[in-house]
Amino acid sequence: MDQLDKREKKTEEEKACLHWLIQAAGAGNRSFLRALFGLGTAREIFALALSGRLADRLAQRYRKRAARLTESSKACDPEQEYGRMRERGIGLVAQGEAAFPKRLSKIPDSPLALYYAGRLPSDQKRAVALIGARDCTEYGRYMAARFGAALAGAGVEVVSGMARGIDGIGQESALREGGYSMAVLGCGVDVCYPKENGSLYETLLAKGGVCSEYPPGTEPRALQFPPRNRIISGLSDAVLVIEARVKSGTLITVDMALEQGREVYALPGRATDPLSSGCNRLIRQGAGLVNGPEELLEELLGTKGRGRTEGREEQTRLVFLDGVLGEVLGALDFQPLAAEEIRHRFEVKYGKTIEFPVLFKTLLELCADGHAGQIGGGYYMRILKP
Amino acid sequence: MLITILSGVVYGVQSRLIQVEVDVSQGLPCFQIVGLPGSEVREAKERVKVALKNVGVKLPPVCINVNLSPADLPKNGTMFDLPVAVGIMTALGELKREMVEGILFLGELGLSGELKPVKGVLPIVREASAKGIRKCFLPADNRWEGALVREIECVGVPRIQEASAVLRGERQEAFFESGAEKRPVPVVPEEGDGKEPVSAVREKEPDFSDINGQCALKRAAEVAAAGFHNLLIIGPPGSGKTMLARRIPSILPPLSLEESLEVSTVYSICGLLQSAGSLKTTRPFLHPHHTVTGRALTGGGRIPKPGMISLAHRGVLFLDELPEFKRETLDILRQPLEDRQVQIARSSGSYVYPADFMLVGAMNPCPCGFYPDRKRCRCTPYEVKRYLSRVSGPILDRMDICVEALPMGFSDITAREKGEDSAQVRKRVMAARERQEERFAGTGLRFNADMNAADVERYCFLGEGELRYMERMFSCMQLSARAYHRILKTARTIADLDDSDRIGEIHLAEAICYRQSDRKYWRQHTL
Repeated sequence: MDQLDKREKKTEEEKACLHWLIQAAGAGNRSFLRALFGLGTAREIFALALSGRLADRLAQRYRKRAARLTESSKACDPEQEYGRMRERGIGLVAQGEAAFPKRLSKIPDSPLALYYAGRLPSDQKRAVALIGARDCTEYGRYMAARFGAALAGAGVEVVSGMARGIDGIGQESALREGGYSMAVLGCGVDVCYPKENGSLYETLLAKGGVCSEYPPGTEPRALQFPPRNRIISGLSDAVLVIEARVKSGTLITVDMALEQGREVYALPGRATDPLSSGCNRLIRQGAGLVNGPEELLEELLGTKGRGRTEGREEQTRLVFLDGVLGEVLGALDFQPLAAEEIRHRFEVKYGKTIEFPVLFKTLLELCADGHAGQIGGGYYMRILKP
Repeated sequence: MLITILSGVVYGVQSRLIQVEVDVSQGLPCFQIVGLPGSEVREAKERVKVALKNVGVKLPPVCINVNLSPADLPKNGTMFDLPVAVGIMTALGELKREMVEGILFLGELGLSGELKPVKGVLPIVREASAKGIRKCFLPADNRWEGALVREIECVGVPRIQEASAVLRGERQEAFFESGAEKRPVPVVPEEGDGKEPVSAVREKEPDFSDINGQCALKRAAEVAAAGFHNLLIIGPPGSGKTMLARRIPSILPPLSLEESLEVSTVYSICGLLQSAGSLKTTRPFLHPHHTVTGRALTGGGRIPKPGMISLAHRGVLFLDELPEFKRETLDILRQPLEDRQVQIARSSGSYVYPADFMLVGAMNPCPCGFYPDRKRCRCTPYEVKRYLSRVSGPILDRMDICVEALPMGFSDITAREKGEDSAQVRKRVMAARERQEERFAGTGLRFNADMNAADVERYCFLGEGELRYMERMFSCMQLSARAYHRILKTARTIADLDDSDRIGEIHLAEAICYRQSDRKYWRQHTL
């Protein structure tokens, strides 16, 4: 018992020093950190720094930084700082610990340690990185929500970056469905960025988790975001791209995923749609094409048959709506259309006119039944009934 | 010798008759005006002195005291020049007391004795007529304005010499009528209760048929015009938002004489009726730039003047680029939109101006204007949200009808077939208006939009089925409870346009589709 306590105390001390080290040396200075760990454990490095002998043991080019570490070690009590962080509900999990996510530990350039709040993803469960553009279209918005919910329903964990657009929407719907989601941030885990995802952030803390390789309090900086993408893909079994332009940050994550040997899936879109161009190119380059959550789950979990027929049933149920409801639905699209455009399409398609009051009533009926959604002022789009 | 001359002054849109008491007596020569005169009024004595000298009336060295009664009302404006001059002439014996009794005098004097137009003639003459005065003397340029009021004889005189000549009976006033500048005299029906439309001849207005396409937009404008609902148009640049807004007055029911007088009164107070040249017969269309200040909108100043919302009374106040307006400026509109009048309190008293206008707003859906077309719009959701949130919720809440303007394609602009013209649309609007008139007879309400919550309960009856329908739509479309009454009002108008006594599901559905401010753009997208 005594021994166990001692060992635990030892690891806590080690983690406190690690926390100090990451803060003092900077999580981004990976080569410097590697050089430091060549000298021993974090505790030993702290002791060395405190005694002022650290600089002598390092290569010439690290001297200055070593001197700074010495200064910081004198001003800081690692255990007290670490304790304070723990009290705020933020944990630190280091490479080599049992709690450190297995998948992440195996990627090249795996982070030394991960700060987290909430719960870390489970190694036993499958995880998918759901990523995409921030300035997504309504189609992307809708599909992200659908995938998020379906993945959560199948017990798959959703990993993403809590960004605006696809990331946040996918995570939000996964959580709403009662699933688990992990957000990998490019800032400290106690900083909510972007601010408008505040409620998602709170939900993640309560029902999912947020993690970051940067110490708490780190402000979001553009340079910190590309490296965090490797953690998003590193924490997942597969990466699904909902929407991306040809040049976008989302494709950085895809590159990382390929480097790490993850499966990459993409949702196809129209050839003319700039926000689907990235996805379509990925598919052309060999990414898996998924039309809906069922197909992804089938690939991921091997649940053949079930999901697919369900999907088809949905489609058929949609197509055969009676009377004017069905006709107006036929004039809708998966892109938002204004009432006037819908009326025009209706007239072209069925060769008859429809009065606005009738059109409005039918559209509202479709919205209420969940076959259509109303977006922006007077825009309507078709959606697949979940 | 003490002489009392009648004159008047405007407070807000109300007018008060003022008794100008002129006393000329022996003593140290002096000339003073008392009774809370403003600086223009105080300066009247200089103008009067010189003008009288120049027309050959000799002012002997006497003590002249002028009192403006009731003395506790502050008085501003230049209309007291003529009554003071006439008072002095009478006191000096140039005119006889009987000649000036029971006559209202208004007018500004030039140093040569000419009479210049003044502001607020219409409301003052109306007040005088209501108080039983049967004759008034006005500057020639203001004569037609006074003539708009029935049952009072208006004499327009170009100079003070002519005024005294007419008073002495030496000259016929008809002389001046033909001599004065010729103006189109507005058509004022002699009979009737004031409800009938004024002026058969309408000014040339921009017409609805100028707009190609945009059917949904036109339909929404028709509904808005029929029930006097506030309208918000959202659309990309160049989609014809302003074009449509400019044409809304042309489909509104014409002003009744009663309304026309109300509108003209405000214009008269602002001195704008002069340039209009006749009674305001068309519904006003006010289009302030977005840098407008709150005071310019509501009116104000040390000596309050009506603002743009009062000039838009019974007409359209069009705010283009709504989010560009300062938030505080827009929020100022909240109270007038509810009360349909604006109250301005100053140390000199509290002034009430009418402000029963139809608010038409236009805005882009995002900073670049093309959202939700993602091919062209690259605004982030945050930018869109921040842009939209510049318009405060309470203002949006008052927008009963919210509609999209579509981006115009080349084919739309060059389309050959013309849409309906304003007259056709207005015919339907008038029919709906008649239904409302019938419904609201004797209640003081004019349009469906005027109804308050209690009126809605009374006039917008829903059947069992419709109630269930509303209940279902409220839960499915996530409407807020406060939207309920506003939706019913709009639905009532749509039913009126449909010539239906009952509000049906189809009317409710359209009203719900127009009611967008409490969701969509302004809330997170819910699918």
